[in-house]
Amino acid sequence: MDRNSKLDLVTDEQRLAYKLLAPTLIILLIVAIYPLSQVFYTSFTDRTFAGTNQTHFIGLNNYSKLLNFTIKELPPVIEQGTNQVKIDSKTGEKVYEPSFKVLPGSPKPYKELSQFNFLGKRYVVGATNPEFINSIITTLIFTLSAVSLETVLGLIIALLVNSNFTGRGLMRAVMLLPWAVITVVSARIWEWILAPSRVGLFNMFLEKIGIGNGQLAFLTADNWQLFSLIMVDVWKTTPFMALLILAGLQLIPGELYEAARVDGANKVRQFFSITFPLLKPALAVALIFRTLDSLRVFGLFQVLVGQRLYSLASYNYYQLVGNRAMGLASAVGVIIFMIIFVFAVIYMRLLGVDSE
Amino acid sequence: MIIDIKYIFKKILFWSVIMIIVLYLLFPFYWAVNSSLKSEAQLQMIPTTLVPRNPETMDFSPTLRNFAAVFKNKIFVKSILNSAIVAGSTTLLALIVGSFAAFALGKLAFRGKKPVLYLILAMTMFPQITVLSGLYAVITKFNLSARLSMVISYMIFTLPFTTWVLTSFFKELPKEIMQSAQVDGATPFQTFYLVLLPLTAPALVTTGLLAFIAAWNEYLFALTFTAIEPSARTIPVAIALFTGSVVRQVPYGEIMAAAVIVTVPVVILVFIFQRRIVQGLTAGSVKG
Repeated sequence: MDRNSKLDLVTDEQRLAYKLLAPTLIILLIVAIYPLSQVFYTSFTDRTFAGTNQTHFIGLNNYSKLLNFTIKELPPVIEQGTNQVKIDSKTGEKVYEPSFKVLPGSPKPYKELSQFNFLGKRYVVGATNPEFINSIITTLIFTLSAVSLETVLGLIIALLVNSNFTGRGLMRAVMLLPWAVITVVSARIWEWILAPSRVGLFNMFLEKIGIGNGQLAFLTADNWQLFSLIMVDVWKTTPFMALLILAGLQLIPGELYEAARVDGANKVRQFFSITFPLLKPALAVALIFRTLDSLRVFGLFQVLVGQRLYSLASYNYYQLVGNRAMGLASAVGVIIFMIIFVFAVIYMRLLGVDSE
Repeated sequence: MIIDIKYIFKKILFWSVIMIIVLYLLFPFYWAVNSSLKSEAQLQMIPTTLVPRNPETMDFSPTLRNFAAVFKNKIFVKSILNSAIVAGSTTLLALIVGSFAAFALGKLAFRGKKPVLYLILAMTMFPQITVLSGLYAVITKFNLSARLSMVISYMIFTLPFTTWVLTSFFKELPKEIMQSAQVDGATPFQTFYLVLLPLTAPALVTTGLLAFIAAWNEYLFALTFTAIEPSARTIPVAIALFTGSVVRQVPYGEIMAAAVIVTVPVVILVFIFQRRIVQGLTAGSVKG
């Protein structure tokens, strides 16, 4: 084969490759890259959703509307007669000025996000959009708690299913079931299980064993909402985690364990010196998938708590469809994108996935 | 004797852990089935009962009324059809387009392979919600129907996945198969669809199943794109917006019946393919 025809062959192969890749790249351009650039652009405008209003370029206005926050010291109330700090007679604690007195009211009003004590002084955190800041905090707490619980439970389930016992195939199928249920359907099932009276399984059961009064409002009470959402997500997606970990476990050659047994290593030792290091790539992939998925959680929040508690994605959705604030929603989308990107980069660096 | 006790103790411990996990994984299904067989009066019984019981005599008395009501609900029946069409077309399109790309990435040599691979990988981590408003703008511009919009937009998460998994399957196929086909006079494309594609059939089935489940499950895009076209609603949207026949009362019995109905087919699929699913992920996710 002379040099020229060899070159021809190479270009033929190249040309075929490009042709085969074209549909994929065109589709990804239409559904991802072009819309994404649109969103970036729209986030700097005051565009409305499905509206006929003229759109204006407003720079970083949407972003500052979303992210502005401030911390101010909150002075204690001084009683006029005695010039002393007012003490609440019931709790015995200092009484502070209401937060609207110290938070700036213009150009945009700041609303109280939270208060905290630091070095004997009281501070208030204000934000121009506490709902959005709260949705960030909610989503981060949700993601961190759900993913760590799912990892631990998934690891336990995968290790059990990976050991040899009769009924293993059945167990593997059972293990996958919650994952196969439509998220919205599982949210509806749990909504019913968590019903706020004893018509719900949980309230009936908890009352029977003496916890609560049979009236726990799992999905409306502030201190139960997030907890319930995490619980439902853990049930729904632990199987996925277990599945990915199981896939990783099955790649570890059995001879390694035999050798370890001959050397007298016990089960715990075997886990930490063989299983865990070899499982790391699979664990990394599972962690990335689950983390990125729960950072963009939507259906669970929308169905179970509606507009009572926002995740980042459900906040985005309500701004877009409910408020028709397309510009603002786009800015939310860009912020979500950045948060997810940061998580992805951190994971890849930490777990060495990108070196493959 | 001591060893025996220890062995028995270990066995009991092992099986109780298994039982707890099985119970944990299954009880919401049990509760959905149980509730779907209750009448409205039985659903409102306090405290609730573990099986449908007659409120007066406390005898076991299930009813199929909720299932009948759900099947009479035109929107729900239509939504099953919509979901089947949308998820089916999504899977087919993702498999066809994805296998083309996977063949190029797995078996052909060309310049720019790495950037393309990374671009496609980046899409798997792409937040759907971010493109929502931009995608909506594209769809209104081209004036696409809700069903077609869903099929195309679901490519965001199905296409990178099918391409990714299939690429690793193609890579594993021995190079000699391709070479011997070429010696026999087949063009590279003929080699692809006459020789390599049949060999990857098992991989196509697994990947297709996973893509199908993902599309069957999707909610955000479906909710947005069917907002003005209720007749195109898919199952997740229909169930989320289920209002039932009685106004201002959430028809939990019917919702649970609907939940049971739409869960059964996927459960059967999972039971049939459980071994394949594990293998599919082994090849796809871990080896990269």
